[in-house]
Amino acid sequence: MSQSERMIDIAGVHKTFVADHGTVTALEPVSITIKEGEFISIVGPSGCGKSTLLRLISGLDQASGGSIKLDVSGRKRPVGFVFQEPVLLPWKTIIDNVRFPLDTSGISRGQGDKTALDLIKMVGLAGFEKALPRQLSGGMRQRAAIARALSDDPPILLMDEPFSAVDLLTRDNLNDELLRIWQSTGKTILLVTHSVEEAAYLADRVMVMTARPGKLKCVHNVELLRPRGEETKLDPAYHALVAQLRRDLRTPAGEAH
Amino acid sequence: MSGRFSAAIDYTLALAVLLFAWWLATGPMGLPTYLLPSPLRTWNALVTIALTGELWRHLGFTLQNIVLGLILGCIAGIAIAYVMTRFPKLAVWLDGPLVILQTAPKIALAPLFIVWFGFGVLSKIVLIFSLVFFPVFVGAVAGFRALDPKMKDLSKLLGLSSIQRFRQIELPAAMPEIFVGLKIGAVQALVGAVLAEWMSGKVGLGYLMTFASATYKTPLLFAAVLMTVVLGLLLHVALTILERRLLSWKGAARG
Ligand SMILES: Nc1ncnc2c1ncn2[C@@H]1O[C@H](COP(=O)(O)OP(=O)(O)OP(=O)(O)O)[C@@H](O)[C@H]1O
Ligand SMILES: [Mg+2]
Repeated sequence: MSQSERMIDIAGVHKTFVADHGTVTALEPVSITIKEGEFISIVGPSGCGKSTLLRLISGLDQASGGSIKLDVSGRKRPVGFVFQEPVLLPWKTIIDNVRFPLDTSGISRGQGDKTALDLIKMVGLAGFEKALPRQLSGGMRQRAAIARALSDDPPILLMDEPFSAVDLLTRDNLNDELLRIWQSTGKTILLVTHSVEEAAYLADRVMVMTARPGKLKCVHNVELLRPRGEETKLDPAYHALVAQLRRDLRTPAGEAH
Repeated sequence: MSGRFSAAIDYTLALAVLLFAWWLATGPMGLPTYLLPSPLRTWNALVTIALTGELWRHLGFTLQNIVLGLILGCIAGIAIAYVMTRFPKLAVWLDGPLVILQTAPKIALAPLFIVWFGFGVLSKIVLIFSLVFFPVFVGAVAGFRALDPKMKDLSKLLGLSSIQRFRQIELPAAMPEIFVGLKIGAVQALVGAVLAEWMSGKVGLGYLMTFASATYKTPLLFAAVLMTVVLGLLLHVALTILERRLLSWKGAARG
C-alpha cells in the first residue's frame, strides 16, 4: 500500500456559527496537509476552535468555506471519533458498545465479537466485557470508547481531549497504549489536548492554536526518537519543545515570536 | 432476595388482615349478604362461574381489550411523538389539536365512542386507546426531546440509517420516559375497559358487574370486583417485570 502524502488536505477551512446574538467566528481559515500515518497533536486555549476543527474533519459539521479532502477511497466510515465524554450507550454492555459500529454495518456477530474482544483486551478492559458502562470508572469508559472508535478499523482517528477525565498515572499508561496502537495499526491520528507535555510526547507534529478568533498559530515538528518511552521524557529536546509550546500559548495571538 | 421475600410476607399479611376484617364484618357483625357477602359466598360464586366457563369468557374479553388498547396506544403514542420530534414543523400543526384532545375528558367521550363505533368491541378499544395514548405520547415526547446531542453525533458519525438510529439509539434512550407514561396508561386502561363494559355490550367483567347488581346477585358482583382487582394486580406485575427487563441498565428499577 503506497503511503498517501495527503491523507487529510485542509485548505482555507473556516467556520462561523450563527447564534442568537450575532455570529461567532469559531475558526479562521486554516490550511494544513496531513500525511497518512502521521500523529498530530493540537493544543490551544479553551474556545480556540479545536473541537470545531475535528468536527469539520469528521463531517459532523459543515465548514463555512474552504475544503477538506480525505484520501480514504470511498470508505463509508473514514473516521473514528473519540469524544471528550465516552458517549457509550448506557443500555449496552461494554462488548456490545465496542461491537456497535460493526453491528450497524452488517458484520456478522461472530466476527464482530472476535474483533471486539481483541480490542477490549488491547485497551485493558478484559473481564469487563459484560459490564454496563455505569459500572465502570470514567477512565475505563473512555478506554471502551477508544476501543469502539477502533472497532471498524477507520484509517483516521480523531480524539478530542480523550484523557482529560483520567488521573495522571492512568493517563501516562493510556498514552503509551495509544502509541502502541498507532504503531501497530498505522492510523492517522489527530489528538486534541490541553497538556503540552502530552502533545509533545505523542506527536509527529504539534499544531498550536490561539483563541478569539480561533486560528492556527504555528506547527512544530517533533524530532524525538521513536519508539518513545520514559527516556523521551528525560530528553532535553523534549523539554525544550514543551517550553516552546508553553511560550507559544502564552504570547497573545498575532504577535510574532 | 431477602427484600423480595419480606415484601411477599408483607403482602400476604396485609391480605390476611383484609380477609379477616371482611369475615368479621359478615360473620360476627352480621352484615346482610345483599350489602356485603361473606368471603365464602363470594368464593363460591367465583368458583361457580369459573366452572361454567363464564368467568374466563368475561375475563378474557376484558383482558383482550386492555392488551389491544395498550399495544395500539403505545405504538401510536410513540410513533406520533417520534414524528413530531423529528419534524418540528409538523409539531407546530399538531400541537393545538393534540392539546385539545389531551385535555378533553376521555371518559366523558365514551358515549360518543359508542355512537360512532357501535356497542361491540371497537368502541371499547377506542376508549382504552384514547386513555393510553396520551400519557405514552407525553412521556415519549419528553424522552425523544431529552436525547443527548452527543448520541446524535454518534449516529451521524456511524452513518446509521433512520431505522437503525430509531431502534438502536432513540427508542432505548427514550424508554424510561415512555415507561412512566405506559404505567399511567395501564391503570387508565383498566378503568376504561370496565367503564366501557358498564355502558354497552354483554360480555366482560364490567358487564358482569352491571348484570350482578341489576339482578341483586351481590356475591357475584363481589366476585367480579375481585377479579378486576386481580386483573389490575396482574397488569402491574407484568409491567414491573417488563420494566426490569428493559430498564435494568438504569440500575434503579430493582425493588
Ligand atoms: N454549535 C455552536 N454554536 C455556536 N457557537 C459555537 C458552537 N460550537 C462552538 N462554538 C463557538 O466556537 C468557538 C470554538 O469552540 P470549540 O468548541 O471548537 O473550542 P475548543 O477549542 O474545542 O475549546 P475547549 O478547549 O474548551 O474544548 C467557541 O467560541 C464556541 O463558543
Ligand atoms: Mg473542545
